[in-house]
Amino acid sequence: MDDYLIGVLSNVGVISFIALSAYLLLLIGEISFGQQAFFAIGAYAAGIATALWGWPLAAGLAWGAAVAGAAAVLVGVPTLRLHGLYFAIATLAFAEMVRLLCELFRYQITIDGEPTGPNGADGFRNIRYIFENDIGPLQFLVLIYALLAAALLGFMLMERSRLGVAFRMIGEDVALAGLQGIAVARFKVLAAGLAGALAGIGGGLYAHLTTYVEPRIFDVMLGVHSLAYGLIGGLGTALGPLLGVLIDIGLLESIRSLAGYRMIIFGGVVAFLLIVRPRGLLDETVVHYVRRTWYQIGRGRGN
Amino acid sequence: MACLPGSMQAADIRAKADVACQPTAGTLTYVCTIRLTDSRTNEPLTGIDLSVGADMPSMPMMHNVRPVKATPGREKGTYQAHIELEMAGEWALQLNLSGKLRDRLVQVLRFEDGEIAREISPAAPRPARQKH
Repeated sequence: MDDYLIGVLSNVGVISFIALSAYLLLLIGEISFGQQAFFAIGAYAAGIATALWGWPLAAGLAWGAAVAGAAAVLVGVPTLRLHGLYFAIATLAFAEMVRLLCELFRYQITIDGEPTGPNGADGFRNIRYIFENDIGPLQFLVLIYALLAAALLGFMLMERSRLGVAFRMIGEDVALAGLQGIAVARFKVLAAGLAGALAGIGGGLYAHLTTYVEPRIFDVMLGVHSLAYGLIGGLGTALGPLLGVLIDIGLLESIRSLAGYRMIIFGGVVAFLLIVRPRGLLDETVVHYVRRTWYQIGRGRGN
Repeated sequence: MACLPGSMQAADIRAKADVACQPTAGTLTYVCTIRLTDSRTNEPLTGIDLSVGADMPSMPMMHNVRPVKATPGREKGTYQAHIELEMAGEWALQLNLSGKLRDRLVQVLRFEDGEIAREISPAAPRPARQKH
């Protein structure tokens, strides 16, 4: 496979994690502009674990996800009491706080005569696990998509469970969900924690893919995009945000003649879809229709 | 010229890259000269398959410049690559080393149309953030 294609597919896979993270919060009716903070926490934590502490990649990624998830829970407890615009602003403020903290964060140790580790605004270089362990680009791509498939499987199981129903009920109407006996606050914090962990896995993968992270990577632009992917792809299924990622990075990126105008077109697509399809391309109606058709076909075959 | 450390897969060589990018006649096209050395011995690293890609730190994974193969230069350990960027601003050049040495080195440079690319140093004040 062409190196460029592997690179683009790796990017699609990695950014899908933060898109799924924002999607999970959209399911409970909350708009977060701050998922990039957990992506950053995951990237730094996983990078520190493998590059500085010598942990294996799996443990580093798990650590990154755990730290990001824990941070999301800590942030979720006070902020999920807020709603709508207030919650969105609180998440944005937290993300900017994390980004600024990354600019101050220095933790370096000397490895093979070179200072290694986060160095404030200069970022964190030499996260070289995949090169030190001879993991090829294709192998890393397989790892990204294996983890993404596991995340999607988790979403599909969740959607069929009481947990998924509770999340959607909360997303539809918080007061009504509460009246139905759902512990709204607890479910919201759980969703925030899971969303943080998902973003953390994406961050860990990103750090190891590029070998380098710096605070500006975790700018609000990343948060806005992760949110937009769910909104254009659709909120009816976890495949929605992935479709959003594919439209942006897969389709628009492939039209090289668009070059620097791509972001303008992407913004236009988001605005247009929010008007004509407020719940995205794969919204609940489409998903329901596809499911019903699928069952009917299956039943027809059975007869 | 900018320096950054990296290293090698099996042997104990750590690669270091010096990158200098000069504008060419085209819009936002540059010819970059990359000097690869062993950071410990300062010996030039020859016979490396080098490709150069770029990503914008402010929009990670969203602008991918197709990696271009660098060709060996006149001096030992130097390589040249022609890159074409989508827009002006800060770009993280990804130097992908393969062949007898496998590694990835990253160098952040600021590109303005028609100007020599400048290294982004943490010590230096950063210019105002670009609008997209």
